[in-house]
Amino acid sequence: MHIPDGYLGPQTYLPAWAVMAPLWSWASARLKRTLSVRRLPMMALAAAFAFVVMMFNVPLPGGTSGHAVGSVLVAVLLGPWAAVVAVSLALAVQALLFGDGGITALAANCFTMAVVMPFAGWWTYRLLAGASSAASRRRYAAAAAGGYVGVNVAALATGALLGIQPLIARDPSGRPLYCPFGLSVAVPAMAVSHLLVVGFVEAAVTALALAYLTRTEPGLTLAAAAQEPTSRALKRFALAVAVLALLSPLGLVLAARFGGGTAWGEWSADRLSKLVGYLPSGFQRLSSLWRAPLPGYGPLAAQGASTTVQAVWYAISAVVGVGAVAAVVLVLRRLFTRRERDDRAA
Amino acid sequence: MSGPSGETVFAVEGVRFAYPGQPPCLDGVSFEVRGGERLALVGANGSGKSTLLHLLDGLYFPGEGRVAYLGRPLTEDALEETPFGPRFRQEVGFLFQSSDAQLFCPMVEDELAFGPLQMGWTQDEVLRRIEDTLALLEISRLRGRSPAGLSAGEKKRVALASLLVLSPSVLLLDEPTAGLDPRSQSLLLEILEALHARGLTLVTATHDLTLLPHLADRVIVLSEEHRLVADGAPERVLADTDLLLAVNLIHAHSHRHGRLVHSHPHQHVVAHEHVHDHGHTHED
Amino acid sequence: MTALPEWLRPGARPSGGVSPRPAAHRLLRRTLGAMGRSLALLVREDDGPNAGALRAADPRAKLLAAVGLIVVATFLRGMLPLAVCLGLTLALSVAARVPGRRLLPVLIAVPLASAALMLPATLNVVSGGSPLLVLWRTAGGALGPWRLPEIVAITGDGLLVAGRMVLRTTACAALALLLAATTRPQQLLGGLRSLGVPQAFVMVLAMAERYLAVLLRSAQELHLARLARSVAAIGVRREEAWAAAGVGAVFRRTRALADEVTLAMVSRGFTGEVRLLRPARWQRKDWLLMAVAAAVGAALLILDRRLA
Repeated sequence: MHIPDGYLGPQTYLPAWAVMAPLWSWASARLKRTLSVRRLPMMALAAAFAFVVMMFNVPLPGGTSGHAVGSVLVAVLLGPWAAVVAVSLALAVQALLFGDGGITALAANCFTMAVVMPFAGWWTYRLLAGASSAASRRRYAAAAAGGYVGVNVAALATGALLGIQPLIARDPSGRPLYCPFGLSVAVPAMAVSHLLVVGFVEAAVTALALAYLTRTEPGLTLAAAAQEPTSRALKRFALAVAVLALLSPLGLVLAARFGGGTAWGEWSADRLSKLVGYLPSGFQRLSSLWRAPLPGYGPLAAQGASTTVQAVWYAISAVVGVGAVAAVVLVLRRLFTRRERDDRAA
Repeated sequence: MSGPSGETVFAVEGVRFAYPGQPPCLDGVSFEVRGGERLALVGANGSGKSTLLHLLDGLYFPGEGRVAYLGRPLTEDALEETPFGPRFRQEVGFLFQSSDAQLFCPMVEDELAFGPLQMGWTQDEVLRRIEDTLALLEISRLRGRSPAGLSAGEKKRVALASLLVLSPSVLLLDEPTAGLDPRSQSLLLEILEALHARGLTLVTATHDLTLLPHLADRVIVLSEEHRLVADGAPERVLADTDLLLAVNLIHAHSHRHGRLVHSHPHQHVVAHEHVHDHGHTHED
Repeated sequence: MTALPEWLRPGARPSGGVSPRPAAHRLLRRTLGAMGRSLALLVREDDGPNAGALRAADPRAKLLAAVGLIVVATFLRGMLPLAVCLGLTLALSVAARVPGRRLLPVLIAVPLASAALMLPATLNVVSGGSPLLVLWRTAGGALGPWRLPEIVAITGDGLLVAGRMVLRTTACAALALLLAATTRPQQLLGGLRSLGVPQAFVMVLAMAERYLAVLLRSAQELHLARLARSVAAIGVRREEAWAAAGVGAVFRRTRALADEVTLAMVSRGFTGEVRLLRPARWQRKDWLLMAVAAAVGAALLILDRRLA
């Protein structure tokens, strides 16, 4: 899921740094409050741990193997804010000291793997685990679901970052300058591999490592925030989903349906403007604030579609996708709750 | 420096300590450490000697009783006060059993600079001290190396250097020779000997009885019930076989002399050709 | 000591048993190999007297120069400026005596992987443009929501797009490698200190690097112990459980170390405020390096805009 240098244009990676800078300082300030003097060693060790987790090869049925990212595991064990710092540091060590992984793309990679992934995974875990006891099957299953959802949401965000490249950065003759694959290619490509393979590696590592630690370490206290009541977690989840809807268009896979009749990767401009015609004009005005930062890279200018069109399009599909994911999570939650009740009744 | 030798450096009175949710690992321990003294704390694994060192270094605080340094009780509040806190940290050095935990900086040089910089000394002063300390321990060539790439003996010496650079008057040593090869071990003992000759107070926790004659003028024995059961000169303590058997520092040992099998209490005071697995892990 | 059980005596053979299956070890060996390589990079020491001149340069200057040039490379659009950038980097790597085995991945693996990934981008269906070589004529029509293209062909535009991507990713990777290969991690961390990066962050990054070596060793030992004891393949589920237990064991070590390191820091007077050694002053050759890098970057950008 690492994006190397050269795939993202400055229009994407510079804003990513701008988004990550306050997130890093916020995360670090939160940890300072909870860990005081222990903060530095704890963050450093957690970062080293996150790095080592990425090195474990986990076999999969069929003779292949995969690596786990480990962000959700770190979030479950130490809390999501600790995961933000730890995984970011691990990625920084990889990029700077080992020379692999992107340096300009570091902030974007941190955004997907150290922010989107731990939070998506952790909220899913919290929501499904509810108030179940530390060693319950339900908690392990919730951790597995957290790992699966976390890595998939992160993959979608990565796909989205790559997929918007041909929309926002083209040379004067209209050829894409960076990752040439549009959303309708990049997002499904990331989604399929993660839904089918990588998600299960992440799920297995998250759940099994949690189970192992719960069994062997009776004094293990999970992230302090894990004690907060579920309703608050639910509210935060809703909030996060809203934010994610704006940041990572999860539903672009589904949204391809709206563009029926267009060729792969490109949407026909009049088709898009027809769609946009149905939208309230206020929304259009709002989204016209969103313009490509470098005028020289006039997005889709060659094709006749404006940034506004793209931005609106982007938001619609995101809402659809997020709705779908939220529905799945809620159904899962229902199922889990019922099973818990059955367990208790039995 | 902490005043003239012979003065009471540490006073431990009726100390009881337990880790949260566990039975006490020190139970009513009292003793004093005098300036310039070489004291060894011995006991089997889990007897609480390492914990006791942590208490002396003001890293843990007793549940009952008190620990005082130069007459001043070591409490969390006292250690946060200036000048007492920083002065205590500068005067008392703690050599951890795990060099990996103690060496947390990317380079040997940074490692030595850490303590002095915390004391707020000037950069030039810090650099001068680093140079002198590295030369003293004959490890100047390691200055730009990463601790991760050093041998166990080198790590121990760098860890010791990171304490000496602060010019401490007391050193607390937790199993200083564990895991070192014989050559590194004797080198370390030589250095400690020289430091003692310069007036440093040494408090060593160990379960290696072979070291006692080299390390200590006085020995304190902790039982497996976490109490202090003996306090005296090394020769006297080592001669007390019943005591050592009782605290599990030596064991009844059977071996063959020709066809004859016999059993006798056995202690590893001199090099012994038998191999014993003592399980050198530390739960305490 | 009690008597040894029968099966522990020398020469005892287990009843039944399995024959070794080396294939079962492939995964373990691969992981061990990766861990060993990472460790070797972390604890690598000075490279001797005949190391290239770039190694002696100030790590800050190198860091700024490399990152600056990577940023420049992400702005380049023309094939020629990108090729020049890559060529210069490789020439410099050779001059700096970067070992061949480290250079090889950048020369072969990165461009190949990048090219494979960019293969579809050469086609008209992704990049548009007029066909150069028609690969496939279809009947057209529609598949679900997608309209199928009538021809699939390699286009000039496609080749340009793909070539640009391959060159740019390779140039960026080569620059990052040049930095990593000529600067020990410890020096790089020292370099970060004076670039306005907060000291606490530098300290944490440095400690992460330091304990990465320790944790990697534990993980390596776990894998070695496993390799030494495993005879035949165990099922995928048990493999997974083993890996998870390994991750769990590493986490335990992580927590224990974090606690101990905290004590070690407090014991030496740490109260929460990070103070680090002041890095050495900039020297003339460091400014020179920066100036050269800036000039090269500017020249590349100007060349790029001229050609566009």
